[in-house]
Amino acid sequence: MILTGATPLQKTTSHRVVLPFYGYAALAFLLACLLLFFSSGAFQLHYFNPHTLAITHLMALGWGTMMILGASHQLVPVLVEGRLYSERLAWLSFVLAGLGIPLLVGAFYRFDMGWPALVGALLINLGLLAYLLNLGMSITHNSNRSPYAAFILVAICWLLLTTGLGAVLVLNFSWPLLEYNSLAYLPMHAHMGIIGWFLLLVVGVGARLIPMFLISKYTNTPLLWAIFGALNLGLISFILFTLCGHPLLLQIIPPLLVGAGILLFGYYCYQAYRQRIRRQVDAPMQVSLLSIALLALPLLLALLLVLFYAGDHNRLVLLYGFCIFFGWLTALILGMTFKTLPFIVWNRVYHLQCGRGKTPSPKDLFSERQFRAMAFCYGSGFIGFALGLLLQLPLLLKASAALLIAAAFLYTLNVARTIWHKPQRA
Amino acid sequence: MTSTTPLAEQIARATEALRQVIDPEIGLNIVDLGLVYGIHFPEAENRIRIEMTLTSQFCPMGEAITDSAAELIREAFPELEPEIILVFDPRWGHHLISEEGLQYLNS
Repeated sequence: MILTGATPLQKTTSHRVVLPFYGYAALAFLLACLLLFFSSGAFQLHYFNPHTLAITHLMALGWGTMMILGASHQLVPVLVEGRLYSERLAWLSFVLAGLGIPLLVGAFYRFDMGWPALVGALLINLGLLAYLLNLGMSITHNSNRSPYAAFILVAICWLLLTTGLGAVLVLNFSWPLLEYNSLAYLPMHAHMGIIGWFLLLVVGVGARLIPMFLISKYTNTPLLWAIFGALNLGLISFILFTLCGHPLLLQIIPPLLVGAGILLFGYYCYQAYRQRIRRQVDAPMQVSLLSIALLALPLLLALLLVLFYAGDHNRLVLLYGFCIFFGWLTALILGMTFKTLPFIVWNRVYHLQCGRGKTPSPKDLFSERQFRAMAFCYGSGFIGFALGLLLQLPLLLKASAALLIAAAFLYTLNVARTIWHKPQRA
Repeated sequence: MTSTTPLAEQIARATEALRQVIDPEIGLNIVDLGLVYGIHFPEAENRIRIEMTLTSQFCPMGEAITDSAAELIREAFPELEPEIILVFDPRWGHHLISEEGLQYLNS
């Protein structure tokens, strides 16, 4: 065959770079659910306790961040229309972050803020620095100045600020570097990660992928820039108010700005859904869309906390964090995994057999039955645990954590089935 | 044999061959998806030229789609060398999906 054209066909990122991130994240999620089960009692204590900190960091770094890192190495070329700068840097970020996360999480679990925590934090920061360099070079190497690229680049900067501050907070336990103890900076550290990293990145990537997967005609670049502004301004104002102090009345500004950004993104997704060409919406896409709606829960809790409790109500704070990490973020990843992973594996296995209609389609690489069972266990586990938290019911917490373990187990099984798929004829 | 076949018939045969290439992401064949811009049989050249695009320049399935298109064309026209020309101007858009394609997606 002769392949020509003014614009050459661009190579995508190798599956060898991407798949380890997926495998790592799946195992981290399973482990986090196991910890949730065995440490469910910790959710009846103050939110600043070793087991809650360990679970939160395992969910944020091992599950959320590792999954996003893996998927973005594959998706960034599609999003910014430029190839990934270096697969070696991608490997480096996997190895460094992959080694650092268990060190840090283990240290939190034992609440030993000595060298394992420091080395873990250092390795994670180095891994993310490699990631920033890799994606930054990928984005700046092409002339595309899309809002998606801005979302991704700024989100990675927020991630580095989050983990950088995290490392300082770890140091601050042993050597007082900051004016106050580490607990005082925890809300800032958490929101830099939640809004700056997770939310900005999810909005940037979702704004491109959701219409793409729905085959929707909808695009709205000015709206995306408005969301970008609202989220960043909300976060910056929150940091400034935290650092400089503020009248109580102004506390409402950051959640209002972030809330406006979230509502606008919800509107964007709704329009993309309404203007879709493909009528049928598959199960993974349904779960992904549900996750956007789940954003309303932490937003509502944030407003409640600010308006009525000056940000300090232990049970609501725990519920707020749970709704973010086990609600919105987990639902999104559970859905999006089976919108991206099967294509990556399919491309590896059936790359030369695309035609003829005799090969299985990507959606045949995972079990939809298992996916639906996972979604049921996850949904009931999430609702049960949230209620258990709110009403402080230890038995409900335990039973719901068991359901979440079942969901994580089914998810990991389905991921493994997809990754190790063997070629077959349909 | 090919040289005696009328051009319209040759193009129809090539179109049918390309109709077997399914975009794995969308589940629709590349002809009805509007990815094929043109099929040419250059005179005095022993080749068939397919002018086509992808839904995105960095479509992860790009290589699989172009390779399969070439393979199926080679099967339909064993005496000709397939030449795939990738074009990104004009860019692919939803308006290029055929009526049949829209019906399939709406079903």
